[in-house]
Amino acid sequence: MQLGTTGGESAVLRALTESVIGGEAEQTMSLARQALELGLEPMRAIDEGLIPGIMEVGRRFESHEFFLPELIMAAEAMKKGMAVLEEAIVARGGKREALATVVLGTVKGDIHDIGKSIVGAMLTAHGFVVVDLGVDVPAERFLTEVEKQGAQVLGMSALLPTTMPYMQHVIEELTRRGLRDRVKVVVGGAPVTPAYAERIGADGYGDDAISGVRVVRSLLGLA
Amino acid sequence: MPRRGLCGGLLKFIREDDLEQIRFAVIEVLSEVGVLMEYRPALELLADHGAEVDWAHSIVRIPEGLLQKALLTAPSRFTLYGKTPEWDVKVDLERVYTIGGSCALSVLDLDGVHRPAVRKDLVDLTRLLEAMPNLDIMHQIVVPSDVPELGYELINFATCYSISKRNYYSQAQSAESVRDQVRMAAVFQGSEEAVRRRPTFTEVVCMVSPLKHEKQNSEVLMESARWGIPLYIEVDALCGATTPAPIAGTLVESGANVLAGVVLAQLVNPGVPCIYSIASGIMDMSNGAYSGAAPETTLIHAATAQVAHRFGLPYQGGTGIDAKLPDAQAGYERALQVLTNILAGTNFVHLSYGMMEQMLLASYEQVVIDEEIIGAAYRIARGFEVNDYTLSVDLLARIGPLGGHFLRERETREFYRKDRWLPTITDRNTWDTWQAAGGKDMRQAANERARAILAREEPWAVTPEQAEEIERIAQDGVARAQARRQQLQ
Repeated sequence: MQLGTTGGESAVLRALTESVIGGEAEQTMSLARQALELGLEPMRAIDEGLIPGIMEVGRRFESHEFFLPELIMAAEAMKKGMAVLEEAIVARGGKREALATVVLGTVKGDIHDIGKSIVGAMLTAHGFVVVDLGVDVPAERFLTEVEKQGAQVLGMSALLPTTMPYMQHVIEELTRRGLRDRVKVVVGGAPVTPAYAERIGADGYGDDAISGVRVVRSLLGLA
Repeated sequence: MPRRGLCGGLLKFIREDDLEQIRFAVIEVLSEVGVLMEYRPALELLADHGAEVDWAHSIVRIPEGLLQKALLTAPSRFTLYGKTPEWDVKVDLERVYTIGGSCALSVLDLDGVHRPAVRKDLVDLTRLLEAMPNLDIMHQIVVPSDVPELGYELINFATCYSISKRNYYSQAQSAESVRDQVRMAAVFQGSEEAVRRRPTFTEVVCMVSPLKHEKQNSEVLMESARWGIPLYIEVDALCGATTPAPIAGTLVESGANVLAGVVLAQLVNPGVPCIYSIASGIMDMSNGAYSGAAPETTLIHAATAQVAHRFGLPYQGGTGIDAKLPDAQAGYERALQVLTNILAGTNFVHLSYGMMEQMLLASYEQVVIDEEIIGAAYRIARGFEVNDYTLSVDLLARIGPLGGHFLRERETREFYRKDRWLPTITDRNTWDTWQAAGGKDMRQAANERARAILAREEPWAVTPEQAEEIERIAQDGVARAQARRQQLQ
């Protein structure tokens, strides 16, 4: 007979969910440790504790109950809790399968960091490995990292109408090097539109962090 | 917890020495020119207390001392009671509140049809207004075409008072109507004595310019004062036509006209709350129309706040807008009017929801849009705090200049929710996102919101049995009013 969920286990799972929703990073870490002490499988703590929390945060963001500060703080809490639980998985000789690896950055000439970082935090929170290259990233760097990381997704951000065309340049470079078919390209940023994304040959466009996650999942057939 | 509005009054249009000049001019007009009062018992009471009455012309001249005595007993702070304590409104000379209404004859309905208002509109518009968070005082927004003209205010009372938990801003055509209204309120409050102690409604009395109190005005004013019902003593000046064209001259006329009513009310019942009120506007010299939204009208309303407060009285200003549709004109007119009045410290911003076409038309959609405009205007008027916490030096030191940001900081999350106004039907998306969500303009968004609110069946403020009893009193009052008129004919 499978061990039933004891009161203590379900209480700590619920508390994990709540602490992610509340964006309480420290508390999420200590609850994750508590879950392990109670003998909970770390995978179960992630799937039934952390993930329901971040899903709820996404729902509240889309229904305008939550806004960016809550979203980011929840993503931070999720990341911190995940770190504790993944460490436990590794310590037991296991490995948590990442959904996919995403290389992310703001293109050359553009130093806008925040929007891209929020997308990164949400992707991490949803189980992706995110390699954030930062801002002012040249095409060469994107290409090298995509290849080195074996990334399935490349995410580019541009906040200026003048730096938007650089995203097309990166895509052309990917094609020239024969890398284009290996990676899905997602673009975003205030001046970027779905039509523009299509015109420059990107695979997807995300309007905000939540839709960014949705687009990446759907491009990888995970939706 | 009662409602305590934010404090307005940042904006002053009258310099201190000019304000004194206006005060002196008001006292001079009141004591030397006088006010015409048609109602004999009003003149007699004033004469008994030392006013000089010209009996041949029914003109009363009120000496400064009598005015000062009245201003001593008229309170500068009091409570207007709602049906439950959270709808009580704490009035003083600084806090700002809103009033709905008033008395439109037509509606622009949710199908975009312009037609005469019917009682169903009064019900639905009152239900819609009741759902607006920034509305403080309920008032009849339409006068339905399917209720008798004589005694209509009793039907409107029965409707609005039964639906709304807010203090009800009423009006009356006779002393008997005031008594009927006390009876209706007593159905909810338990007894007439309870109404006298904590009246859940108020009366507005609208004086005529220049300087005239009609018989009905004084009769209603005196009867309300006897019951301790708070009074909005209002002047509806038409600047350039019924009052002098200069704004200063209009302020003087309104002051003398309103204060004559305040003196009378204080003689009847010392301490009865009196709200210095105007619904004035300029006359548009191109067509003779009243303009509620002209910039000069807004100036009159903002400036009158200072005059009313100089006499120690809370003040009601604000008036309908001129646009016929919830369009760009409506938006700019309402925004300038509401924001200016709030900043000027108008304690009751009147007609602030849905009223258009020089107070002839009520729009369902504009009610919802006006809630949005008032929310934004309140946010501006609330300003911001400067202290060690908000100066954020420690936080700036923590994040530093190395390319960090504040979005993930606990301080940000805690602060922005209290600090930011959250729009409801305002769209701040880019074109594509907006298109993807249906590409609706503000009027369409307001239409959907109004429909959603009206689809909810919120319980009325009184029980169905009480509503029935109140309606019976109203109908009985209307029948008696009709019989009285027939007797007179």
